[in-house]
Amino acid sequence: MLADLIKHYLVANAHVDPLRLEQPDVKVSELGLDSLGLIEMLFEVEDRYGFQVDEPMRFQTMRFDEMVAAIEAEVRAHHGGELPEPAATETAATSG
Amino acid sequence: MNPVWITGLGAISPLGADRHASFAAALAADSAIRPASKHASAGLPGMLQAPAADPRLLLDSAYAGVDRATQFALVAAQEAMTDAASGGSELPQGERCGCYVGIGFGGATTLDAMYARYFALLAGAEDNRRRAAVVHPLSVPRMMSNAAGALAAARYGLRGACNTWSVACASSAIAAGEALRAIRHGYLDAALVIGAEAMLTPGSMVAWNALRVMARMDDAEPAASCRPFDRRRCGFVLGEGAAAVFLESAEHARARGAQAHAELAGYGASSDAGHLTIPAQAGQVAAMRAALAEAGLEPAQVQYLNAHGTATEVGDVVESQAIAEVFGPAAGALAISSTKSVHGHLIGAAGALELVLATMVLESGSIPPTAHLREVDPRCTLDYVPLHARHGCSIAAVMSNSFAFGGSNACLVARRVGH
Repeated sequence: MLADLIKHYLVANAHVDPLRLEQPDVKVSELGLDSLGLIEMLFEVEDRYGFQVDEPMRFQTMRFDEMVAAIEAEVRAHHGGELPEPAATETAATSG
Repeated sequence: MNPVWITGLGAISPLGADRHASFAAALAADSAIRPASKHASAGLPGMLQAPAADPRLLLDSAYAGVDRATQFALVAAQEAMTDAASGGSELPQGERCGCYVGIGFGGATTLDAMYARYFALLAGAEDNRRRAAVVHPLSVPRMMSNAAGALAAARYGLRGACNTWSVACASSAIAAGEALRAIRHGYLDAALVIGAEAMLTPGSMVAWNALRVMARMDDAEPAASCRPFDRRRCGFVLGEGAAAVFLESAEHARARGAQAHAELAGYGASSDAGHLTIPAQAGQVAAMRAALAEAGLEPAQVQYLNAHGTATEVGDVVESQAIAEVFGPAAGALAISSTKSVHGHLIGAAGALELVLATMVLESGSIPPTAHLREVDPRCTLDYVPLHARHGCSIAAVMSNSFAFGGSNACLVARRVGH
């Protein structure tokens, strides 16, 4: 679920090739995101789960699936071990 | 000294989504002023505004998230750049071309929405409170005043100076004047000048309302609520939008075969060095005289003046007296209008929009009226072109005044180019 949310964002907003995300061992550094792009991607999760992900730059050296697992662990840590349904985003309403 | 030509014009204003629509509506006195939306009124009765078209409809989706003022700036810039490119060979790029922007309250829409969301979540359901502090990571680069210049420079590859002036109502007149100087003195060959503003937000409307300078609604005819130089005037209406001009040295424009709309011939800037909001005649006179002197023109050689004309009690009288002092015996033959009567006050974008309109007056020989001016204030003794446009006028030079809160005054003079 979390992986799909992030993949959808990357394809729709960051122009990442969807085929690249199908590769099981794809690395975050191969997605063409700069540091700001990485932070924008994390906001997609942060906005829905109501907390700021810790130390974003650590993801730059991970595989994509490792990053998703690490983010999921953080979401669970903020929600008593659960992975709740993501809240509707408010980004559209706040970007004017 | 290099003459500086205006080779590109663009605008998205309450009057229309491009410069031609805007000028046509100004000539027709077709007011864009209307009752403010419920959201923007913030619970205040009788609020007015002059909104422009949604700029996102005219832009690539890549700009969907940037501040509304930046979106307006990019729309006006693309019209001016297309216009500048249409006559001659390829547009200039690189270090010899700058981007000069004027904006009053950059990022107002982003900032207002951020605070609204923050406090709404804090005051809302407990489950959601922790979400209040999670805001978009681009909030700062979206709301910074120089965002419009940064994105426009990047879009067109303008690697010369990219500077933003924030001087309230004179912002973009000063941006144009400073660009004129940079080209005239050889620091640049060309510059894209943009004025932009978008603050028809609840937070900004309550603040402007508190200053007691906003027009009261004319219940019978809300569109006629802003009446510069009229005895019954009661203030201005906030507008939004952007305008852009492309400036280049005559030498540079000739070399690439570009056509000139006009020569931007003179710029004057001064400070009242006095009251925060009450204008002073001496400061306005100084700015107008400096602009005429730089252009090498006598007052009698200017036929049209787009006035600052905000329809405030004090402002219109002081400006009239300042014009009378500068123009002396020639004041009687000068046609003056305040187009704010129909497009509202665009604050940071006002100077650029009114320069675009004044340049179109120069080119067309048609003068937009001061709309809704039925009863001239006896203390305002000049020709304000009341109610109806004049066509077929012979116009060799025009002037545009922009006088800011804070006492900064700017005046621009443009004239016909003798190729």
